[in-house]
Amino acid sequence: MTMAGSTDMNMTERLSGLVTEEEMDAARFCISYGCSHGASQMRVALGKSVLDSFAFLNGELDKVTHSADRSLFLYIFADGRYGTFSTNDFSRPGLEKFISGAIDTVRMLAPDPCRMLPSPERKAKDAVTGQELNLYDPEYQRLTPEARLKIAQDAAVFGSLGDTDSYSIISEECEYSDSVDDSYVIDSDGFCGRHTETSFAICSEVTIQDREGRKLSGYWWESSPHLSGLDCSGCSLTALAKAAEKIGPEQHEGGKFRMVVDRSVSSRLVSPLLSALNGASIQQKNSFLEGTLGKKVFSGNLTITDMARSEGRPGSRLFDTEGVATREVPVIRDGQVCMYFISTYIAGKTGMEATVEGVSRPVLMPFISGQDTAERTESCVSEEKEINLPRILGLCGSGIYVTGFNGGNCNPVTGDFSYGIEGFAFSNGKITYPIREMVVTGNMTGLWNSLIAAGTDARECTRWQIPTLAFGEAFFSA
Amino acid sequence: MDKQYFLNTFRVTVPQMEQLTKTALARGGDWSDLYFENTLYGDLLLKDGEVTSGGLHTDFGVGIRVLSGEKTGYAYSENTGENDMREAAMAASLIASGSARTHDIPKPGKGLSPAFAPACGGDVLYQSEIPWESIRAAELLPFLEKLQERISSADSRVVKIVARLAYSHSDIMMFNSDGELTFDSRPMGSVTASVIFNYKGKTENKTASRSFRTGAELLTDSLLQELAEEAVKGIDERFEARRPKGGRMPVVMGAGASGILLHEAMGHAFEADFNRKGQSVFAGKIGRQVCDRSISIVDDGTVRANRGACSFDDEGVPGQKTWMVKDGILNSYLHDRISARWYGVAPTGNGRRESFRYNPIPRMRATYMESGSVPPQDIVASVKKGIYVDEFSNGQVKIGEGDFTFYVKSGFLIENGRLTAPVKDINIIGNGPQALSDIACVGNDLKIDNGTWTCGKDQSVPVSCGIPTVLVNNLTVGGE
Repeated sequence: MTMAGSTDMNMTERLSGLVTEEEMDAARFCISYGCSHGASQMRVALGKSVLDSFAFLNGELDKVTHSADRSLFLYIFADGRYGTFSTNDFSRPGLEKFISGAIDTVRMLAPDPCRMLPSPERKAKDAVTGQELNLYDPEYQRLTPEARLKIAQDAAVFGSLGDTDSYSIISEECEYSDSVDDSYVIDSDGFCGRHTETSFAICSEVTIQDREGRKLSGYWWESSPHLSGLDCSGCSLTALAKAAEKIGPEQHEGGKFRMVVDRSVSSRLVSPLLSALNGASIQQKNSFLEGTLGKKVFSGNLTITDMARSEGRPGSRLFDTEGVATREVPVIRDGQVCMYFISTYIAGKTGMEATVEGVSRPVLMPFISGQDTAERTESCVSEEKEINLPRILGLCGSGIYVTGFNGGNCNPVTGDFSYGIEGFAFSNGKITYPIREMVVTGNMTGLWNSLIAAGTDARECTRWQIPTLAFGEAFFSA
Repeated sequence: MDKQYFLNTFRVTVPQMEQLTKTALARGGDWSDLYFENTLYGDLLLKDGEVTSGGLHTDFGVGIRVLSGEKTGYAYSENTGENDMREAAMAASLIASGSARTHDIPKPGKGLSPAFAPACGGDVLYQSEIPWESIRAAELLPFLEKLQERISSADSRVVKIVARLAYSHSDIMMFNSDGELTFDSRPMGSVTASVIFNYKGKTENKTASRSFRTGAELLTDSLLQELAEEAVKGIDERFEARRPKGGRMPVVMGAGASGILLHEAMGHAFEADFNRKGQSVFAGKIGRQVCDRSISIVDDGTVRANRGACSFDDEGVPGQKTWMVKDGILNSYLHDRISARWYGVAPTGNGRRESFRYNPIPRMRATYMESGSVPPQDIVASVKKGIYVDEFSNGQVKIGEGDFTFYVKSGFLIENGRLTAPVKDINIIGNGPQALSDIACVGNDLKIDNGTWTCGKDQSVPVSCGIPTVLVNNLTVGGE
């Protein structure tokens, strides 16, 4: 077993939220004890995290939370059988009893020859310190409770949010939080990987009451892996603006309209695609994308790439939950399905080539065409630097601009979806009025075949880089 | 319950807990409480014909909360060593430091305010005749295997079955700065079957589930039969189902799972934290008529063995039955201790949390509408053109606006008072207060749905819902 990463540990032992050498020893103990008591293979994921939050309600401190977690997650392979176990008791006697019981439990399950660790050559070898991707900010360790309180206090601006002719302020909830997450993963074949990241976030929800007595809320948030990258100013003002925009909603007629989906919620439409590419769904025939690998299923405009190794970008990681090395790979390219997410287990069950267990940092590539039946053979990815909301609204002319989804679902087997929405009608490229109580209904394959634009405006703070999207036609009920 | 068992489990003494609450209040908070939890959670998964994966998980710790007025400081420790608990208490006590000013609200006298009334009563609403922790996994496997056999033999179009048994047992001990000490042992067993069907090249799916606060005595032959029947029931219609033409129309909500309407459209907006902050669409409306006088809506923690039952809530308040709406009048919000004190009323036993890692907040339990007087068939017969819905997956609500949605997995068109073409996969959207006032008819067939409902307001907690057949005059139905 390699002990990569251990040289730094003495240095980091005193640091909040980071795995200590003693805790690493506990993880190693699990492997050695388990393998000497009946396990043929084991993987142990040691997770540790600390989260602090300071929440203000109407300008006054309302809630202070301090969370510190650590756990050992054990994947045990014994006698051709498999089970998963977790505990937060790190004591040696506690672990011995727990692992012995776990192995007994595994032995009662049915054998499954497809359960095994990934082959060593597929695993990451470069996740040594946990900080290779520059997602950890040492500044985190210097933050005091007082400093955190000050950040939250400065971001909460209730006193400066005044009533206007069209609304009264009901409440401002503003919360600053930061966290460190450190995971240390080892297995009985010698894999050792570490991933460490910090996060600094501010979020605000402002509720107003319009002159007709209707309450409306707006929400906004910012986050960054680095404290210096967190812009706290204006969070509540943006939330207020979002609430105020909703004043005076009108009942829009139902029918087929062009649909523009705001960058803050567009990932909702990508999620069913990526779920349907999951190997477990494919193997269980619970996916509308079963049998589509290598086929052009969507608009030639659609390209999604998993940029798993982008330094300093949320969502990046060097290895997946099995320890398999991530790569930058196309998931869907020019409308063609390029990969399924196939774990070692699903590879064994299906005979497919193993890839990674799931997507890390999907990036939907920008383009603008105005065409919903692009049959181009060349890549449609745009080199344009700025494809923003005004430009996309201008391209579409008129339709529905969706700024929020309210419930709904997508049938994983058929791809049929129906979502409640909130947003605005737009005409001649300009927003005209807010809409209420509308539902958009369709089929994912059909929807993504009508994609006519994807912006360059994905929010940097999100793990999924999904920009403003425009679709040629969607059916709305009202 | 055996006090010593709980003290031994958490390796603490009463004097230690008293000292800890004093430490938590050292910076000046009004009240503090400790929530100890020891949970064993297990699951078994049948896929491709065999139970090839399963696991056991343990979670142990103590959450420490300090209240300063209605403001909260919260921290927790994953062990009950004296030093670690003291550190958590100090972290939670930060809320009472200088900058955490309180609103000008009545300060309770110790033990006198209704919000801090001594916890007493606490009828034991669930017991494990066969404790999960006494059962070996090998004894549980046959249940899932038989379930698979029953489902497979019930319909030749079945191509895949995933069956899951999840079970847990939590020992909970709560102590507060008023000296109240309460205990609760909470079992839970849940079985879910997800089935994929294939017929003439088309694929459809169905799910059936049951969840109760019981031990392994849950796993009976009648449960097997019930789940197997439900897993294949209506699949013919599912293959034929189409989306209806969308728009605003009367919606008849079938008895049982349609209770999601109450959970989303009303229940969340009755949770007192939203009302205390003035954010809820029902804020300031206690005592007002919000719907027809024939309607009463309850949030009930006292339904025996129900998934949402609470002998005590997670603040040590005994389980209660709370009428949110009584005879059409908004009767009560759902309170935790904070909101109860703010409103000057007794807590309703709705202070719940996901685990010791979270502070309690007002949450629902089993939410249902009491039966009316109309036979369900008469309700359907009264609708000329509309939709009947009876199977759901998820819902959501916007608290301020009151706009809610829920997703319908199956139902039927109603044409001239008769159920006709099957429909599926549609979202329904409406506005809570409007939908309440649009309820035109309440059936005499209240049914509680005992599926694996989980509410996700910040934290996940088990709940259930129910309703008799009701007619809502005007909702927006998604369609083509």
